[in-house]
Amino acid sequence: MNSSVEFRNITKLFPGVRALDGISFKAKGGEVVALVGENGAGKSTLLKVLNGDYQADGGQYLIDGEERRFKNPQEAIAAGISIIYQERQIIPYLSVAENIYMEEIPTKGSKLIDFRKLNANAQSIIDEFNLPIKPSAKVKDLSVAYQQMVEIMKAYRRNPKVIAFDEPTASLSDTEIESLFKIIAKLKAKGLIILYVSHRMKEIFQMTDQVVIIKDGQYVTQIPTKETNEREIVKMMVGRNLGDIFSELDRNKKKDGIMLKVENLTNDYVKDVSFELKKGEILGFAGLVGAGRTETMRAIFGADKKTTGRVHLDGREIHIKAPEDAIACGIALCPEDRKEEGIIGGRAIKENISIGILKKLTKRGFVDRNKEINLAESSVKELRIRTPHIEKKIRELSGGNQQKTILARWLAAHPKVLILDEPTKGIDIGSKAEIYQMTCDLAKKGISVILISSELTEVLGLSDRVIVMCEGRITGELSNEEATEEKVLTLAMADMLGGNE
Amino acid sequence: METKLKGIAKMEQIGLIIAMIIMAILFTALTGNKYIQVDNIINILIASSIVGLVVIGESYLLISGQVDLSPGSVSAFSGVLVSLLLSKGLNMWLAIPIVVVVGMFIGYGNSLMVNKLKFEPFIATLASMSIFRGLAYILCGGKSIFVQNQLFLKLGVGRVFNIPIPVIIFIFLFIVFGVVLARTRFGRNVYMVGGNANAARLAGINAEKLRAKLFIMTSALAALGGCILASRMSSGQPSASEGLEFDAVTAVVLGGIAMSGGVGTMGGALIGLFIMQGFNNGLMILNVQSFWQIVARGLLLIAALSFDYIRNAKRSK
Repeated sequence: MNSSVEFRNITKLFPGVRALDGISFKAKGGEVVALVGENGAGKSTLLKVLNGDYQADGGQYLIDGEERRFKNPQEAIAAGISIIYQERQIIPYLSVAENIYMEEIPTKGSKLIDFRKLNANAQSIIDEFNLPIKPSAKVKDLSVAYQQMVEIMKAYRRNPKVIAFDEPTASLSDTEIESLFKIIAKLKAKGLIILYVSHRMKEIFQMTDQVVIIKDGQYVTQIPTKETNEREIVKMMVGRNLGDIFSELDRNKKKDGIMLKVENLTNDYVKDVSFELKKGEILGFAGLVGAGRTETMRAIFGADKKTTGRVHLDGREIHIKAPEDAIACGIALCPEDRKEEGIIGGRAIKENISIGILKKLTKRGFVDRNKEINLAESSVKELRIRTPHIEKKIRELSGGNQQKTILARWLAAHPKVLILDEPTKGIDIGSKAEIYQMTCDLAKKGISVILISSELTEVLGLSDRVIVMCEGRITGELSNEEATEEKVLTLAMADMLGGNE
Repeated sequence: METKLKGIAKMEQIGLIIAMIIMAILFTALTGNKYIQVDNIINILIASSIVGLVVIGESYLLISGQVDLSPGSVSAFSGVLVSLLLSKGLNMWLAIPIVVVVGMFIGYGNSLMVNKLKFEPFIATLASMSIFRGLAYILCGGKSIFVQNQLFLKLGVGRVFNIPIPVIIFIFLFIVFGVVLARTRFGRNVYMVGGNANAARLAGINAEKLRAKLFIMTSALAALGGCILASRMSSGQPSASEGLEFDAVTAVVLGGIAMSGGVGTMGGALIGLFIMQGFNNGLMILNVQSFWQIVARGLLLIAALSFDYIRNAKRSK
């Protein structure tokens, strides 16, 4: 019961960002310690430092009072550190038993796998967790929740000292969350140290003993869960900063007329989605990860197919089959995954800005290079993109400046509707504030903005109106005045709370 | 800062040009000035011209993140087909366009496999490489088809202002496609799709259509190359152009076009082509045993890829 993990002044630098800045706290065996903070506060980075995926640029960590420095995850696993990530780390086409015993498959003779022993060993672990799964079942055939259980068992089998969970409930239903908690309680009773990253307050109060708050990579405080409450935690997480930023925004007051009207949009991911967007309005879309917000926008934009549904823009019905159609109509989409779908990393800032409207900069097929340079220069100035010159490759910029460049790409197209999908994901607070003000300025110019964000403070702070989605459906709509985090969360989990919408 | 950066960008090509000059000096010294004679340089140019047509296509494809393994087979198939058509008495000005159009359909077939069936381009074109080599043999029953059409034979060996016609055709097409790649929206889109196909699609570029155009273009160029080769050999031979695509990819990679897509220039590819053909030619004059020439070409490819790797490592720094 006397094992411990201690962080002392951990610092981690990424180009242009201090991801971690002097994090110090201690967790003891038999305790569940919650790590809370906004997206991008550095929680996941801290876990990656602990498991040797990242090397700290300063400070140290001690396990059982002894300083350690893992060069890679293998070393960390050998020392008893296991991390359960949001994304599954299991091999879908192998069996449950093979996944649990991945790197220590029992063999008979010299090389042949001893399947009987493998399955028997796995069964005994499954029994310990009291789960209704067969060791020989293929992992791909299990539900998401059981896949996660397999991962926990895989970690448990290695006899770890520390198990860290990185947002484990993000894709679980309520009953599944309950069974996860039972298992965490079991691990806790065995004296393991449990680190628990989540921003769901309910869970934190339900099952953690200590709360460690991190903000912008800095340690704020560590308090016993019993001695605090939700409001206090949120305040420390967000700081006064963000609240100020939102109250200081110069917003668009007048919104008139319907710009975009979506009726009964349905495809493989979303069901019967209908909504209206006014001219100059900022419409927030809230919901849990996988609620269908991104999918709705991709269907409108023509990036994914839609089975049924009509879209009206500015009073006229439009038929969009591919992104180029949407762009031609005046709809722009800033995608969620900046690296995979936004930037063209190896190309210049200039080219990344002009790509969307190159047609307009082209005469008889030839690109007008002066026009292109002028466009890029003025965009860089207007959006305050920090770069020495426009020929620089976009991937060499910081996340915030990359995002501004992508924004510049779409502003150049003079869209009527601008869809921003997680526009501030993984960027620093300074750039966030700039992007918030920019969004308001666009609304003032009469551009209608759709904002998807998983950061509730952001959706609530920026939007004139919030639509909440859950499991591919719209479950509610709240005006700026009536929207609170609690109401949004209730709607976001409507289906899980018994289906009454 | 800007000029400094441009300097570095040029340096990449300067490195290649220096490599080419050193190679030329070395071979000149070793061959007792035979290497640098006008006639020999024209030999190098002639050898470059047919591979060069495929180099144009592969440059575009590699920059867009694709590759085509079928040009060698398509070229042989086209050579046999054009010879067959001519031997049936068809006019050359009809025969060549027909063959080029057939080539375009072959390229379209490749693009359908890549776009619609989602095959890796490597696999898709590996299949057509095999199919069209086989069809080349079937078409002629395994024997060469000789061409008597005098006008057609001029195409391969004739000269204008003492410059061989194949070289003129190559240089002309090279300049056209080079300008298109560097200056037009179409060319820009090739770079964008190669840099990040997903992002390019979401920015309104139809990547599938672009890929189709590139595959069609490459096969058409290979078909034209096949015609020129048939003219030079005064026959259509089903075994011709074996490994043509590999020579072309070697030249392209040597010229600084990354296998990962999104970067490189036609100018670089041209220098890569000259280095490769100059190297082959030098070994030939030195009477290096032909088996060793094949080994040397492999070594050159390793050198080219290492070059690509080192450059990439520098880029990501």
